[in-house]
Amino acid sequence: MPYLTRYGRGFTRRKFLTDAARGVLATGVLAPLASSMAASGEITKAYPDELLSIEGYTKGRIKTGDFITSANVELVKDLLEPVRYEHILNHGRRLKVVKTTQDLMRLSPWEYIEATLKNAGKAGFDAKGNVVNKADGRPWIGGNPFPDPTNGLELFAAQTLSWGRHDASFYALTAQALGRNGEPRFNYSGGWAELSPVARVSMQPAPYWPGHEDKLRFQSVFFQTPSQFSGTSFLNVWDYDHSRFPDLYGYVPEFRRVRQFPTDQRFEPLLPGLSLYLSDAWAAGDPLHTWSGYQIVGRGPFLAGLAGNWNPGDPNWEQGVHGGPKNQSFWDTSVELVPEAIVVEAMPTRFPRAPVSKKRVWFDARNQIVIGMVTYDRRGQPFRSFDGAYSLYESGDDKFMDGAHPYWSWCHVTASDVQTGDVTRLQQVKALPGNHRSGANDETFYHRYLTQQALIKLGAA
Amino acid sequence: MKGDRNMQRTQRRVGATLGVLALAITGNAVHAGEAGGFFDDMNINFAGFVRAESAISTTGQENPNNQGGNIFNSQTVARTAYLPPALGGGQWGAIPLGVGGNQQLGGLLPPIAFTDEVRRGDFIDADDNAFNYTILRAETEMQLTLTDHWSVIGRLRAIYDPTIYQQFNPGSVGGVQGAIDGGEKRLYKGRPNMFEYIVEGGDKPNPLEWSGKDYLVYFPALLAEYTSGGLNLRVGNQQLAWGQSIFFRVFDVANGLDLRRHLIMDRALEEFSDKRVPQLSVRLSYQLSDTILLDSFVAKFQPTVFGNPNTPYNVIPAQFTVHDLYKEGGYDSKLNYGLRLKGDYGQVSFQLMATRRYNPDGVFRWTESGVQKPLSGLLGTAVNLAYSVKPQLGNPDNAGACSPTLCRLYDDISEALSHTPFEASPAGVYSAREWFNYAAQVRLDGVAGLNAAIEEFAASRDVFATPADNYDQAYAELDTFFIAAGGSMRGHIARQYFREDVFGVGASYVNESENDLLNQMIFNLEVQYTPERTFTNKGLSRNFVKQDEYTVSLVVDKWHRFFNEFPGTYILFQALTKNRSDLVGRHLGGFGGSENKEAPGKSGNSNYLVLGFLQPWPNKIYEIEFAALVDLEGGMLAQPGLRWNAGKSVTVEGFYNFVDGRLWGNPNDNLLSTIDFAEEFTLRVSYQF
Repeated sequence: MPYLTRYGRGFTRRKFLTDAARGVLATGVLAPLASSMAASGEITKAYPDELLSIEGYTKGRIKTGDFITSANVELVKDLLEPVRYEHILNHGRRLKVVKTTQDLMRLSPWEYIEATLKNAGKAGFDAKGNVVNKADGRPWIGGNPFPDPTNGLELFAAQTLSWGRHDASFYALTAQALGRNGEPRFNYSGGWAELSPVARVSMQPAPYWPGHEDKLRFQSVFFQTPSQFSGTSFLNVWDYDHSRFPDLYGYVPEFRRVRQFPTDQRFEPLLPGLSLYLSDAWAAGDPLHTWSGYQIVGRGPFLAGLAGNWNPGDPNWEQGVHGGPKNQSFWDTSVELVPEAIVVEAMPTRFPRAPVSKKRVWFDARNQIVIGMVTYDRRGQPFRSFDGAYSLYESGDDKFMDGAHPYWSWCHVTASDVQTGDVTRLQQVKALPGNHRSGANDETFYHRYLTQQALIKLGAA
Repeated sequence: MKGDRNMQRTQRRVGATLGVLALAITGNAVHAGEAGGFFDDMNINFAGFVRAESAISTTGQENPNNQGGNIFNSQTVARTAYLPPALGGGQWGAIPLGVGGNQQLGGLLPPIAFTDEVRRGDFIDADDNAFNYTILRAETEMQLTLTDHWSVIGRLRAIYDPTIYQQFNPGSVGGVQGAIDGGEKRLYKGRPNMFEYIVEGGDKPNPLEWSGKDYLVYFPALLAEYTSGGLNLRVGNQQLAWGQSIFFRVFDVANGLDLRRHLIMDRALEEFSDKRVPQLSVRLSYQLSDTILLDSFVAKFQPTVFGNPNTPYNVIPAQFTVHDLYKEGGYDSKLNYGLRLKGDYGQVSFQLMATRRYNPDGVFRWTESGVQKPLSGLLGTAVNLAYSVKPQLGNPDNAGACSPTLCRLYDDISEALSHTPFEASPAGVYSAREWFNYAAQVRLDGVAGLNAAIEEFAASRDVFATPADNYDQAYAELDTFFIAAGGSMRGHIARQYFREDVFGVGASYVNESENDLLNQMIFNLEVQYTPERTFTNKGLSRNFVKQDEYTVSLVVDKWHRFFNEFPGTYILFQALTKNRSDLVGRHLGGFGGSENKEAPGKSGNSNYLVLGFLQPWPNKIYEIEFAALVDLEGGMLAQPGLRWNAGKSVTVEGFYNFVDGRLWGNPNDNLLSTIDFAEEFTLRVSYQF
């Protein structure tokens, strides 16, 4: 049966292109997205049918529940970054299509969305370029400061301000670096913690942790395995000044103590084999104004993992893998049609000789979350590509709670080195030995992970 | 297939107790999350590695501190005996007992046997080793998490050395001068003992350590940890490191060093990670605020461990027999304690430190040998006879009442010699030249050393030794006694420890600049001050040197990206100055000596510079390292290295130690001439599990 649409692909394409040509960003096609979602909590009024389901977009040739494989990827080529397309076409990667999420509250932590709606319109930039509450000029008060973004800077400002969208997060994680031949070369496990002393929406006191209003975040990363790196940990303390580099402290097992390290080189490989830099974190791993440009370069539908990616079937939430020469290069992933993605480019102007000349980042217009990133080398050639998957941690009767609501977070990330063919797979797991459990808004995270003493505790004895 | 299970060491849910027991065997990680009660949060994790390490000498030079590498093994040295002043010889050197002196004595003595030429190598076999170091190492770290607050951490290290080296065999001199007699048998009577740290009385003082001649197994860490909020308490065997300086131990004062294996010749950027001697300690740290960390410890004192005699990196000349008084002196029950405050305020930070400790390096002095053995040879027999004909009118408790010329203190010369710091045995010092040369090498004063051995030991004077006024007299006296000994004399020294208060203050500043080269440059200044620190006297006198010492280090860190294609280079510059001792704690008063003169001492400070960098390859598969330590008195240790993270859990590291302690000036004025022999290439291959 033919799939009938009221507004064809030509209409939406023209709409996005016309807006781009006018240099304006007004999310939504049929109606302003932000106001539609604020009014109903859903996106259906803002987009035509062809942008609300894969069936609509492909005229029924791909259906919800189908897999996108090399056999049908041409139908959705325009919805993918080139690297994912290449993976699917030539390396056996596949994506399972799930229904487009239409309920706004399933696309971010509940409290974050509530604060976003409550504080809409209150944010602005001060003279130094920091995001502030316009009413009193103090640091931001919670939620997305620019839910109806008008430019790329606002999108990145929101992303930099709150990475995981919780007041505090701890992610137990594993990472695996695979070579072009699909062989796993390096295996790592560790933890990543982040805590916001401002713009707090769940933890008390809120919105500020008194005495810490001058900080944007505390963030640490540590590694448990392999033994060569066991106990390696780094703590970043971010100033609220969006132009200042964070203070960086590290526990290096060789030194058996915490030392302060220079922090401006954020394009260094953290560990052997990993296609990840500190700068890559959440596609906004550096202070906002150490990059510039923030130019919107495109809009349009996209395929991204936003639901159905939590795997409670595994006791430690570990994801399945497939594809590649050894059938283990890519995560099993569920993706959905994102009606509108906003593509923004930025340049690392405060990093002389950075290996990256620019990054191109896809934001979901519905919730302004990052859903893809490609970085380019200094010659302008694609360098590395990042795609990930988020989910509400709810699947059938299984739920992992964050306070009164199911936990929302990322599930896995794939970082691909375009030029070497290496792939780094990263996943959030339930727990690591030592009772390091993934979760959010836990007051104990600060002392467990985010002080210098915490680094000593996490370090090799 | 589910991904990454191997990486996770398989976190299987099993019943808690059984799971832990199973894991102790399998080495896997287990969560006991499904069990009930106290064990809900219990889990255990293992990780570790095995590593083959070897260092090949690139110069063929042997360790001069060992018998087989003694630089006099290949030199023929003329010796002349003189009539002791105590027997009417005037001053030492005035009346030779050889040809010339015989005339002065009216031809009473035959010239032969009173002058000779000695070649040490005629008694001691020279070594010729290709490898300085070959070991197999295995390490594992276990963390048993009992609850969110309690855990147990254990790190076990096992080392095996197949001892493929050509080494000194004391049995080879068993028929000479009655063989080597004094000292701990396991250290001085058999083949070199690679790992056993044995103190006077026979004890092995390091807790949680099991060792033999060729193996070492110990727990660098075995502790219980309690954590709650900002409080962290660790109780057990552990190490502790403070400070921003790398390699320069300004704040890093809590632990001694274990120098038994590869001395300080491992990767410079590894610093002392496997060398701090663990101590039974209680460590309490508390995060007072975001910015201030309090750290404190109380520890059972454990000394620095030096390489045993004739092991490849031994730094104490093997002509000495060391009596470590750690146990007999009661130091094994002493406690060290310290406190540090560290405050970080973004661009600026500070540190304050106060530690009361026993200096783990210890100090050395002459001690009675305890070896009852007479002198030998013609001259020795004559001295033995001369001693025996003296009436025994004195006693050791009132030695001053008895003139050494007219009366003796002991029954015979054997007993007398046992109360001197010497034993007349082989594999000791054979000539005055050797004495002065080695005194200078270890930063002692050959004349002061001789005099202290005489003035502080009545028995020495009892056997006709008298203090020397100068180098020439000492030279004559030494050669006389070496001939009289029948070859050589071994010296006995005691090691003891002194309490000191160490204070430290430090500050750091992170520079922010529009100039990329200057931006994010971290300057760190650390100052240590120790009032009345005790140093070894340059004459090995029991009157130790006590002086105030300060140590100042400046550290500058910087990441800088020089190449578009390569990650940033980590650059480290350090400078250090000390006003009383060198980098390893030897008092400057013993510096500047040589084979031809006693040590004048060094008037200024000891000063060192370090330049290091680390250049990773993209993706960090390879890393080039370089570190250089320059002693401004004319020595340099430069260490280029390459690390290859090969993947599949394999890491390969190679580094070259270029050492030159003779770049300019007197080699005995700088630190690095001491390890000049250790120019070598080291290869390490690790497999992690």
